[in-house]
Amino acid sequence: MSSISVRGVVKRFPNGFEALKGIEAEIQPGSFTVVLGPSGAGKSTLLRLMNGLESPTRGEVRIGDEIVDTHKLRQIRSKVAMVFQQFNLVDRLSVVTNVLTGRLAQRSWVGSVFYLFRKEDMGIVQEALARVGLTDKAWNRADKLSGGQQQRVGIARALAQQPKAILADEPVASLDPVSSEEIMALLREICDRDGITVVVNLHQVELARRFADRIIGMNSGKIVFDGRPEQMTQSVLRTIYQREGIEDDNSLDMALAYA
Amino acid sequence: MTTVSTWRWPTPSGWLPLPLVGGVLVLICALWLTAPMVEVDFVRLIGSLGKMTAFAGQMFVAPDWNYVPQLLAKMLETIEMTILGTAIAIVLSLPMGILAARNATPHIVVYRVTRDALSLMRALPELVWALVFVSAVGLGPLPGVMALAFVTVGFMGKFFAESIEVVDQKAVEGVRAHGAGWLQVRLFAMLPQALPDFVGTVMYILDHNLRAAAILGLVGAGGIGYDLVMSMRLFQYDRLLLIALAIYLVVTLLDRASDRLRSRIIHGRQA
Repeated sequence: MSSISVRGVVKRFPNGFEALKGIEAEIQPGSFTVVLGPSGAGKSTLLRLMNGLESPTRGEVRIGDEIVDTHKLRQIRSKVAMVFQQFNLVDRLSVVTNVLTGRLAQRSWVGSVFYLFRKEDMGIVQEALARVGLTDKAWNRADKLSGGQQQRVGIARALAQQPKAILADEPVASLDPVSSEEIMALLREICDRDGITVVVNLHQVELARRFADRIIGMNSGKIVFDGRPEQMTQSVLRTIYQREGIEDDNSLDMALAYA
Repeated sequence: MTTVSTWRWPTPSGWLPLPLVGGVLVLICALWLTAPMVEVDFVRLIGSLGKMTAFAGQMFVAPDWNYVPQLLAKMLETIEMTILGTAIAIVLSLPMGILAARNATPHIVVYRVTRDALSLMRALPELVWALVFVSAVGLGPLPGVMALAFVTVGFMGKFFAESIEVVDQKAVEGVRAHGAGWLQVRLFAMLPQALPDFVGTVMYILDHNLRAAAILGLVGAGGIGYDLVMSMRLFQYDRLLLIALAIYLVVTLLDRASDRLRSRIIHGRQA
């Protein structure tokens, strides 16, 4: 359980593109936050900053009391797990080995040279696999699993790390509706039962409404909405998804009509 | 008229790009003009057809069966040299490959230095390095193994590095994001992905090294090479035939084995 605070964060990429234009956000320990916004709004960049996969041009990100900076990345990352849209598993390794990579932060390189782990690591991994319901697939190669199963391996890897927070970057964007539901329910359950802070980027407004404690809406690098799901009205959605320079946006109306 | 309108290349104009056509034409002209420098002469080639068939005919003699025991011993030595040289090279090439891969090297200077060292190692053929090592450690298979390992590191390190450079970055990020250290990221995210390529490289190099080992005897560095060259010089075609067959047989068997191994590694155990 850990709070995440983002203070005055600006991120400018080397090509000059400003992905984040001054972000302020305080994420409560043990809460479930969904970040909504159009593609290119800066959602992924925001999440990647919290894990140190990117570093801010200005401002700072804190996990608990610790500032995320390049000198203690390993320490920060050992507490903050990440779940990816494309799962980012090592395809050719078994499910177990993939989940074991979640333990690497706790182990020195000496054993790793021989692919050796401790017995207690294996116990943690089996527990994590049981929670995501993949015990029977443990020794399959990761790339032999379906998309939904691969994402559950991704979540098991995150759990194996025994993190204080889990960041999920569009975890259901490549999945069918039923698998999406399962994955979201799993993340929600992890948040409720283990008190792990969860931050999820999503494209599905409806999933956000049902699962989130709090929704942050982003558009072109700024936070345009921050509140509880029931406060997110149609006009709020229009602000989140509005496109620059387009006044009468038919696509926007159609897309939000059933949201 | 109809053919012109029916056929087209997938370019905006429908014609081949001019630089490509020009380049190929220039290349053909250059080859045409320079071929005499290396004495590629079709008249002479056709003229010597008779001599070639005569030589090939001499190969078909009754094999010298008394030579078989020595042949087996020498072939075994050749195979041992090949496997040992390649095995030593694999152990050295793995770290070299990591250092020489742009996405895995600790620093760009290390990358440059390793790349240069590797190209120095493979700059000269095995035979030349064998000469060097024969003068250093004396005659026998040892300098042969050293020469093989040395040149092989030069090639294998480069091939390994190139396989590492094309690994999927997503998996690397996945492992890195969970707090894995520098070496752990390379061992758990990069190497497993590069493994099928590694196996392909090793099998190709084994094949190449066997053929290289077969001539190292020429400079006194062990293996079948000495017998091969001597039987050629002494016109002992009854031996030469057996030696050529033995080398062919081993290379073919190796090729079969490598196909099996590769498909097993790429597709996993059961599939």
